[in-house]
Amino acid sequence: MTMTTTLQWPLVSQHELDFDFLAFGMGHAGDFGLGLALARPERKTIVLKGDGGLLMSLGSLVTMGRYAPGNLLVLLMENRVYEMVGAQALPPRADFTALARAAGIEGGGATGKGKVERITTIEAFKIELPRLLTEEGPHFVVLAISNKEPLPPVRHTDHAGRIRKLRKGLGVE
Amino acid sequence: MRQKTEIIPPQKEGALSVRGASVSKTLTAIKTLGFTHVLMIPDSESRLLHQAIGDDPDIHLITPCREGESVAIAAGLWTGGRKPLLVIQNTGLMEAGDALRGCGLGPKVPLRLMVGWRGYGGAQAGRMPIDSAYTYTEPLLHAWGIPYWTMMGDEDLPMLERMDRTAAETSLPAAVVTGYAFRS
Repeated sequence: MTMTTTLQWPLVSQHELDFDFLAFGMGHAGDFGLGLALARPERKTIVLKGDGGLLMSLGSLVTMGRYAPGNLLVLLMENRVYEMVGAQALPPRADFTALARAAGIEGGGATGKGKVERITTIEAFKIELPRLLTEEGPHFVVLAISNKEPLPPVRHTDHAGRIRKLRKGLGVE
Repeated sequence: MRQKTEIIPPQKEGALSVRGASVSKTLTAIKTLGFTHVLMIPDSESRLLHQAIGDDPDIHLITPCREGESVAIAAGLWTGGRKPLLVIQNTGLMEAGDALRGCGLGPKVPLRLMVGWRGYGGAQAGRMPIDSAYTYTEPLLHAWGIPYWTMMGDEDLPMLERMDRTAAETSLPAAVVTGYAFRS
């Protein structure tokens, strides 16, 4: 995950397999997750990324539509703003669910079983999450969200150390 | 702050070789070095290599839409224990700058790059105007502190091993720069 989610996720989880990394390439959390999912097919790879970040690399959707493996779950935080830098509005007509479908993720990915969904309430997300974690994908899920809490301060951590911690957690280092 | 990477000058003798490395020998070298995945968007100089890798059952070819994606996917593959090679034209390298910073140089991911030096042949032949992609390639690699070696023909193929070893030893990106199109 990158940007806003990297500020909030450590408040709820400090697992060794977490990789909340603010300074990562802008818009590329999903691409990194795609590579990780391809490398480790025995594990579920979950990507948390923002809709503003997706706009920085829209072509990534097409790449996922072609290569995403069944163990990749992308959760797109759709808040329609660049929240971290002042909540400036995103282009209002952009339809992220439609974009993902048009990019070939629906019925695509490496498995040909890709699914694109949109979930609009926390109650529905709680119901669907167990399925999303177990069902073969890839899954691209648009989560309509809004944030009413102040963001935690930005923490720039040891980037090289963070990625090695993840590799150790995966047993490859 | 990370230590400055040593810049190793390119080998001038490479420019005297037969123009362009052969696809089959390059592919053999890539497989010998244990690369599991090749990420590349085909261009005029690398299209034959792209085809050969796509036809090879022992190596995974991934063709993203833009090179920044390639860099981030490669970083994910490496994090998961695989060994990716990025084949990337200099123009794509320029596009991928932020990904290279955030997914390679910052977190010390030893990305292995084979950079196509578009414009090199024309510049060597004195053709005008000079391709700006040619002009900015070396300064960019120097600015990022990425060590590189030139690969102009088959006799330069050992530079792949040197690049690979350097990336492993420094845990930072390293590159070979190919001046001519791959030949069949």
